[in-house]
Amino acid sequence: MKKRLNLTPYWLILPSVIYLALFFAWPMVQALTLSIWDGDARLQLRAEATLRSPVSDWLPRGAPIEVVERRGNTVDPDDLGQSNLRTEVWFYIRGESADGRTVEGWAPEARVRVRETDAAGAPTLGTIRPRIGGSDPLTTVYAEPSVVSDVVGRIESNAVVAIERQTILELWYLVRGERDGAAIEGWAPSRYVQVFGDNVRGRIDRGDAGELTLRYLRSMINDRFFWPALWTTLLLMAIIIPVQFVLAIIMALIIQQQLRGNTFFLYVFAIALGVSELAVGIVWYAIFTQNGYLNSILVSLGWLAAPIPYLTADTRHWIIVAIWLAEIWRATALVMVIVVAGLQAISHEILEAADLFGANLWKRVRYVILPMLKPSLQVALILRTILALQVFAVVIALSGGDVVTVLANEAYRQYYTLRNVNVAAAYAALILLLSMFSAAVYLRMVRSHEEMQE
Amino acid sequence: MAAIRIENVTKKFGNFVAVDNVTLIVEDQEFMVLLGPSGCGKTTLLRAVAGLGMADSGRICIGDRDVTYLPPRKRGISMVFQSYAIFPHMNVYDNIAFGLKMNKFDKAEIDRRVREAAELLHIETMLDRYPSKLSGGQRQRVAVARAIAMKSQVLLMDEPLSNLDALLRLEMRAELKRLLAEIKATTIYVTHDQIEALSMGDRIAVMREGKILQCDHPTVVYDRPATDFVGGFIGNPPMNFLDAQVQRRDGAVEVAIGDFKLRPHPLMEPLLRGYDGKPIVIGIRAENMEALAAPADDALKVRVLVVEPLGAQNLLTVKIGANIVKVSTHPSFEVAPDQELWLRFPADKIRWVDRESGRVLYPELN
Amino acid sequence: MSVTGNIAAAPVQASEEMLRVRQRALLRHRIQRGFVYLLALALCLWVLAPIWFIASMALTTPATVRTFPKGVLPFIPFSFDTMQFFLTSQGIIPGLINSVVVALITLALSTVIAAPAGYAISRFLFPGRDFYRLSILAVRAFPVVILAIPLAVVFINVGIYDSVYSLALMHTALTLPTTILVIGSVFASIPYELEEAAQVYGCTPLQAFRSVVLPLVAPGIAASAIFTFVMSWNEVFAASILTVRNRTLPAQVLATLNQSSEPYQFAGAFFMMIPALIFIFLIRRYLFNMWGQISK
Repeated sequence: MKKRLNLTPYWLILPSVIYLALFFAWPMVQALTLSIWDGDARLQLRAEATLRSPVSDWLPRGAPIEVVERRGNTVDPDDLGQSNLRTEVWFYIRGESADGRTVEGWAPEARVRVRETDAAGAPTLGTIRPRIGGSDPLTTVYAEPSVVSDVVGRIESNAVVAIERQTILELWYLVRGERDGAAIEGWAPSRYVQVFGDNVRGRIDRGDAGELTLRYLRSMINDRFFWPALWTTLLLMAIIIPVQFVLAIIMALIIQQQLRGNTFFLYVFAIALGVSELAVGIVWYAIFTQNGYLNSILVSLGWLAAPIPYLTADTRHWIIVAIWLAEIWRATALVMVIVVAGLQAISHEILEAADLFGANLWKRVRYVILPMLKPSLQVALILRTILALQVFAVVIALSGGDVVTVLANEAYRQYYTLRNVNVAAAYAALILLLSMFSAAVYLRMVRSHEEMQE
Repeated sequence: MAAIRIENVTKKFGNFVAVDNVTLIVEDQEFMVLLGPSGCGKTTLLRAVAGLGMADSGRICIGDRDVTYLPPRKRGISMVFQSYAIFPHMNVYDNIAFGLKMNKFDKAEIDRRVREAAELLHIETMLDRYPSKLSGGQRQRVAVARAIAMKSQVLLMDEPLSNLDALLRLEMRAELKRLLAEIKATTIYVTHDQIEALSMGDRIAVMREGKILQCDHPTVVYDRPATDFVGGFIGNPPMNFLDAQVQRRDGAVEVAIGDFKLRPHPLMEPLLRGYDGKPIVIGIRAENMEALAAPADDALKVRVLVVEPLGAQNLLTVKIGANIVKVSTHPSFEVAPDQELWLRFPADKIRWVDRESGRVLYPELN
Repeated sequence: MSVTGNIAAAPVQASEEMLRVRQRALLRHRIQRGFVYLLALALCLWVLAPIWFIASMALTTPATVRTFPKGVLPFIPFSFDTMQFFLTSQGIIPGLINSVVVALITLALSTVIAAPAGYAISRFLFPGRDFYRLSILAVRAFPVVILAIPLAVVFINVGIYDSVYSLALMHTALTLPTTILVIGSVFASIPYELEEAAQVYGCTPLQAFRSVVLPLVAPGIAASAIFTFVMSWNEVFAASILTVRNRTLPAQVLATLNQSSEPYQFAGAFFMMIPALIFIFLIRRYLFNMWGQISK
């Protein structure tokens, strides 16, 4: 029979691949992008006052500039929806000028109060707005919808004018600035430029093109919580994981004994697997808070005269201890389950052989069980290491989120409290890179493990 | 001196009695085979001797030590497991050395013993390899080498050959026999393969439903089974059983198979007298019947159903009354299905089975 | 029962010393067993005591919660007041509804996407299968919830931020790898011969799947779905990032943690634990198959 490539499995895995590409791979790229890419760092300048004109140069965000010339471009009605356009509306009006002639020409919308509109909502009649406190009480009418075009006449305040039609303009500035000592000039849409009171000087408000930047990473590293968060995360890993493994192996060995009530022990040991991280944090808060269970028991037994406040800014070490216990309580179940599954794979004859050839319990654990569990333990180790990078709710519940802080908590703070998406993304990227490093090790181990089993 | 004494040992799993009040004594340096169908309790009994699963009652002694309640590691035994139980994370050398290391032998002694054991099993070139790179037969050799390197006085083997393919099993069988003769350990060997049992054991203990039915030399077990079960379980083809009727004629005992009348061996007559007028079962092995092409007075006429040429012999299937009987004949004896032939039953080869108890009757035992 | 054959060796006498050895061995065995039991019970106490504490805080009056020292005896006085206080607090019932909706969507979505993939990796040997499996394992190991931050930016741009549906999309990404591996192992435990047999006896492949495989895998898939539900129900980081007004229960509790009273917190913690306690009990038989497969 000729072997044909069967496409069925590919169709079957396709949805999951697409899903993970959309909601795993892409956000991962996004996280990295957000943390090193400044999306509006540069304002592109053009030779002509239109987006169709090629980019001639650029100025960095914040650069001081001088507005040399202004121009309004009629906006394509399709582009009107763009919320960030800075537009100006001009009316074509007809009315009597201050010197008694009838003038016809363009005036900005800001100078005309619309009094009547037609059925379609378009303005038909208005009055000239009075100028308050200005030196010039008259309103200028221009030949073109631009303040730099010819003046056709000047109208007094409150004069009634007919509005013939209107036009919507996008303002462009010809700006002059300096980059790296060289003078630069070019047209830019006014919405990116902030102009000061004198109508001439100003600065680039934001850009329309991005550049690579280290400033988010820098502001992450320079944040006063960064190093404490990193060190606490690593410290927690270092003190949680070994204890967890010892406990989990003991639990698994107990399960292995097939005691009466084994299913009960198994369920109890596995309970924490399903308990919410936040709930665990609160549970241990209930134990460690000043009028909590620990103090209650110690005081009732007479070992303490008065309750100790454990979870305060001055008792950081106690908070760490509380987090340590809470995490051991919560995540040992995961390791235990993996170890039990690994133990089940060791045939009972192997253990009997070890017993028979003279190994007591300790030697059986040391020379047979642990070496044979190595693959499971490695997997559990990597999983635990990566999960330890995510510790979050337990820390918030026990420390309020700033006395003791961890990386995930800082990502949350940057995003939620400080509204600093890019720095939050930088934390996310850091956590991702740390776990990617672990995952690479993990994959290597998995592969060598599979090779070992012929 | 390391005789194994198993005294009144009972082992239950819940309500199921796996080993039922068994007493068995294995002499020093003897090769004892525990034989029986699966579920007969042979492995449970072996494990009780090994200490893997304590006996509920009774006593087990090795040499002059009562080991009933000792953990396996303190019993001074070694064992070959059915699945070999080779440690997958250790190479062959470390596997063989495991027991010696656990018992804190010095390095030189360990090395010497490992190499000696490996040489005995022809695996001295594989000492660096890991079990995953070994074939089934090689793993088996490692398991045996690990056991004999201990030089324990007692060696237990739990169906060590059952996971090998047929050819390899044949080869290992002979080799194990040679090896065990060489190392002179007291051995209990569990198997469900009667050929293995017959060919290897000094004695065979046939077990069924937790009890030992018979324990004796292979030839005795084969030739003079204690019960119909033993006769039927041992031998290929198994012993034939024929329904018959004991009658008395002219003061002598006569046994009727249908119309055919048989005279029992004179030694059996007193015994069979008690069965006068009662049914009895005749047991006879296929090779013990004489097939004749022509009628004879003392031969029973039968019709051949199937002829199976097996090379060294021809196996005929015939029907006598309601019983199917296998007869083995020399290949030169020409016969075809549906042909008639005559069977003669040598009186000294016939075994008489009590229908009720299944017990085989022997004059000297009564 | 008597022994047939020759009994030559003289019977061993049961000496005083042997009896002592026997008794000592029995005693040691019993002490060892007892020690293991003690250890097991101590570990149970370690797991259960905190649950005991929080349950007794949640099922009493708010006034009792504030007393000091607290009694170790639970439920004195027994009352649903604390629970009621928590459940009637602002945002809790909507949060509860949101949590259930998110978890149910996540459960449905990840089961629907994972089931075919799990079937594929357990039934077909195709080029790229190992790579796919390893990738899924790697994704499983990743701290997926961290991706809530870039996803929030995407969701804001697309205009689906702050909705239970977009949060369910995120949670599905979180649970999908586990679900694929678990369902794969469930399928792998059903021999393919069964399907082939059904086909030999006249079923189409689809019929064979429906009438033979589906009934056999249904419990396992249900277990995996329950686990998915629990994972989504418990998840707090992504929920806090991706929702503002439509908070899930954990996100709501977390957001108000600093301003809330202890009775509220304790009752909330207990309330969040309840489904986990029940569901883990329901699927306890499957836990080890699940994780055994995953750890390979």
